[in-house]
Amino acid sequence: MSERTSPPATSPPRSASLRWRVLLVLALAAIVPTIIVGVLAIVRARDDVQREVIRGALAHIRALGSALDGTLQDSRRTVELAAATWADAPDDAQRTQLLLKRLRRDVPIVHALSILDADGKLRYGDPVPAGAAVGSHSFGGYVGDAVHAEGRPVVHLVVQARGRTGELIGVFVASLDLGFVRDLLAAARLGPGARVVVVDGAGVPVASSDGGPLGTSSLAGKDPAVDRALASSVEGTLSTAGWISAYRNLSSYQSLRGVRWAILHQQPEDQAYALARRTTRDTLIIGGVALALALALGGFFATRLTRPLAALAKRADAIAAGNADRAPPIAGPGEIGVLGQRIDEMARRIAERSELQSALARGDRLASVGVMSAQVAHEINNPLTTVLGYAKLLAEDKPDGHPDRAGLDLIASEAERMKGIIGGLLEYARTPRQSEREIGAGTDLGPRAKPDAPPSTEPATVMRHVGALLDPQLKKARAKLVTRVESTTPVAIDAHALQQVLVNLVQNAAQAMTATPDGESSGRTITITAKPAPGGIATLITVADEGPGVPAADRGRVFDPFFTTKAAGVGTGLGLAVCKHLIATAGGSIELGDGPNGRGAEFRLVIPNAR
Amino acid sequence: MACLAASASGCGHEAPAPTPIRFLHTFNPDETELFNATIAERGLAVESSLVPFARGQQVISEILQTRAGCPDLIRIDATWLPGLRAHLVPVPADLAALDWTPEAAALGRLDGAWWGVPQAVDGLLVIRDLASPAPASTSIADLVAAARAARSEGRRYPLGLRVDGYWLVPWLRAEGSDLATGAIDGPNAAGALATFADVFGDVAAPPPPSGSEAPDELRRWNTHEVAYWITGPWQLGALRDPERVAVSALARAPRGGQLLVVPACAKHPDQGWRLAGELASIPVAVVLAQAFSTVPTRISALASAPPLARAAYEALRAAQMLPRVPVTPLLFDDLNPALAAVVARDATAEEAIEGVRRGWRRLVGAR
Repeated sequence: MSERTSPPATSPPRSASLRWRVLLVLALAAIVPTIIVGVLAIVRARDDVQREVIRGALAHIRALGSALDGTLQDSRRTVELAAATWADAPDDAQRTQLLLKRLRRDVPIVHALSILDADGKLRYGDPVPAGAAVGSHSFGGYVGDAVHAEGRPVVHLVVQARGRTGELIGVFVASLDLGFVRDLLAAARLGPGARVVVVDGAGVPVASSDGGPLGTSSLAGKDPAVDRALASSVEGTLSTAGWISAYRNLSSYQSLRGVRWAILHQQPEDQAYALARRTTRDTLIIGGVALALALALGGFFATRLTRPLAALAKRADAIAAGNADRAPPIAGPGEIGVLGQRIDEMARRIAERSELQSALARGDRLASVGVMSAQVAHEINNPLTTVLGYAKLLAEDKPDGHPDRAGLDLIASEAERMKGIIGGLLEYARTPRQSEREIGAGTDLGPRAKPDAPPSTEPATVMRHVGALLDPQLKKARAKLVTRVESTTPVAIDAHALQQVLVNLVQNAAQAMTATPDGESSGRTITITAKPAPGGIATLITVADEGPGVPAADRGRVFDPFFTTKAAGVGTGLGLAVCKHLIATAGGSIELGDGPNGRGAEFRLVIPNAR
Repeated sequence: MACLAASASGCGHEAPAPTPIRFLHTFNPDETELFNATIAERGLAVESSLVPFARGQQVISEILQTRAGCPDLIRIDATWLPGLRAHLVPVPADLAALDWTPEAAALGRLDGAWWGVPQAVDGLLVIRDLASPAPASTSIADLVAAARAARSEGRRYPLGLRVDGYWLVPWLRAEGSDLATGAIDGPNAAGALATFADVFGDVAAPPPPSGSEAPDELRRWNTHEVAYWITGPWQLGALRDPERVAVSALARAPRGGQLLVVPACAKHPDQGWRLAGELASIPVAVVLAQAFSTVPTRISALASAPPLARAAYEALRAAQMLPRVPVTPLLFDDLNPALAAVVARDATAEEAIEGVRRGWRRLVGAR
């Protein structure tokens, strides 16, 4: 794992970008609907208000026009009935005067009332008003155009009085005061800034709700709404110059034969549509608040949503940097949590693989060292044997107390120690099969496997053999060996290699317990346990002692060759290195940890089960 | 909108708005709306004003006499032309030279000169329900006989007829009389009046209240109460199911129409004639024919008109115009009440005709 990849420089921005993108998506998800709904609400409100304003205005002028029309029609019918009655006895002056009196009383808007004969001469009542064309080409009577007489708007009502045979007897001419129109408009409840105006056929105002000038000049050609009203036969609306106008040509009623006028309801648009403006403003405010809330919540949830993702990215960076074991576990909701678990698992496996690769690399190095050491040891061993032999021979020739005797014994002793070291080096460099031929020859570890067959060893057998083998040493060290076999599954390691490992570990344990401060290991126990490893594909063999344990600072080095915590001259520092080498060669692993209950040391061997 | 609102005072450097053509007309409400839409489509600046037909001659006469608010163009009934001619200007030669139908040309010409641009031809004709047999001839007698034969339980009065002097004209003419002051003095006028009145309550329904004749007639036709209807082309456009209609002539029926005239007091007579030309143009005539079965006045427009309008034209070809004198439209003022009195059995035909004679003499004397 020396080929480490540096974390991408864009990692933090990538995480931030994701958060901002999520925020952007949430913002868009909030903004777009808010804007669409807001615009629709505003447009809809404006359309509704506009439609209601127009509908209200039209309804208003319809009602006013109908009231105006109804008043004039009632007057016409009353005068017609009177004229028909009068035609039966036109020469009865007394009855005629009584009739006129009743007419003035029953038709309060009558301003002047005249009865003419068939030739157009006045017979009864008031003088005929100027401008009232009477008696002919009227198809039986009419309500004339509005005129302004004596400062007041009036219309002339002409009713023909015909006898039983239909012959013209006379003509009733009534001037109807249109002051009632003014009163009608004044009583109308109008919206802010609104006005209602009635114009005659020439566009001259007849009555106005705002008290505007009457009977002076025509609005035709000046007010487009008036032009439109006079040109129309029905009703309609016109929006121009900031005013909304609803108009109705009263001539279209056709109920009053001949009258020509129109009624208009006009209101400044800004006042007519004030409700729409308020609605627009309120919609904007509410929409803005809703949008801000949506963005705030969106930001909150975006951060919350991307936090596990950021952790994942950080974890990925740590993995890429080779620090997978330093990152905290990832917790997250739903798929993100599952993804975190998978990444954790992946990181663990990568770490294991990394460790394995390191071990393999280290094993290769150690193998190289072993080969070289074996060659060196082989070359040194022969001369050393010679030195040892001659040293012993010379020592035997010297009597006790001879001044050379101590030196020769020292040479022999050191030579023995050197042979021990060389023996260890040779052992380390040997392959298991080489070791098996030499170490296992003549033992009862079972039949030899064929050279090319995969190894298969029952741990229990080896554990018993080790117990028997080391029993004298353990008694001497006053230690007790306990074996616990919870798995009888054969493991894929050569029996002699496993024996060598266990012997080494038990001896170390015995020495460690002997080396305790109190120097007493009596009653202390060394326990070898074999049981299935988690996963069911390997067997876990532990060797635990009750000694002082291994300091944490030394645990990483105990498997290094020539590392030892024993006193000088005791041990070569190759035992554990050989153990790890043998286990690793079998595809297993060996670890050092605290003993049970935190006391002593425990070596944990995981060896693949044999197939 | 702001520009529109400010159009009165000018908007930017746009050309000043053209002076609107002042137009006084007697279109009915539906025709008015179509006219307004047509004018808007053609981009013409027109300031129009509606004059109710019943007072049209009086209002227009007053305007032309006083010259106050004088329009550039007026749509009038053809019967008003003799009375208004003194206040009008002749039709330009280019307009007069268009392809007018003979009936339209007869409307626009008076005493050998063109005074009005014919806009529509109308008159009385017979609308028949196709489910009912055609009368043996166009005569009144055969029509009444056919109506009488069509009477049934649900169709008590199969003939549609209006109590109006205009509708009396065929009866007067059948008796050798006419809507003329001299003709009314003849011995047969009262007989015509009596015969006409006798139809009501026999094959024609008693008249509705005054003022509701047109809608009542249309209702009765649309509900199949009527099999034969003496009416004018102006009703064809309102029929609910025109496919069950056959249009035929009525013997001695009156024929008239609408004219576009330019008064002598017009400020912009050329503009008036321009608008008249537009209204008499083929496209506008066809639009009116399609919408209201208005009988076109130009041959080329007639060719493009819908079948009902063409049938109406054919039915009116045999009709005869009313006497073209100023007093003619005024005669109805006395004739209608007399007719109503006879139909209502308030008076005999002789009594009513005598009153009409006095009224007409008074009218002629006053003029």
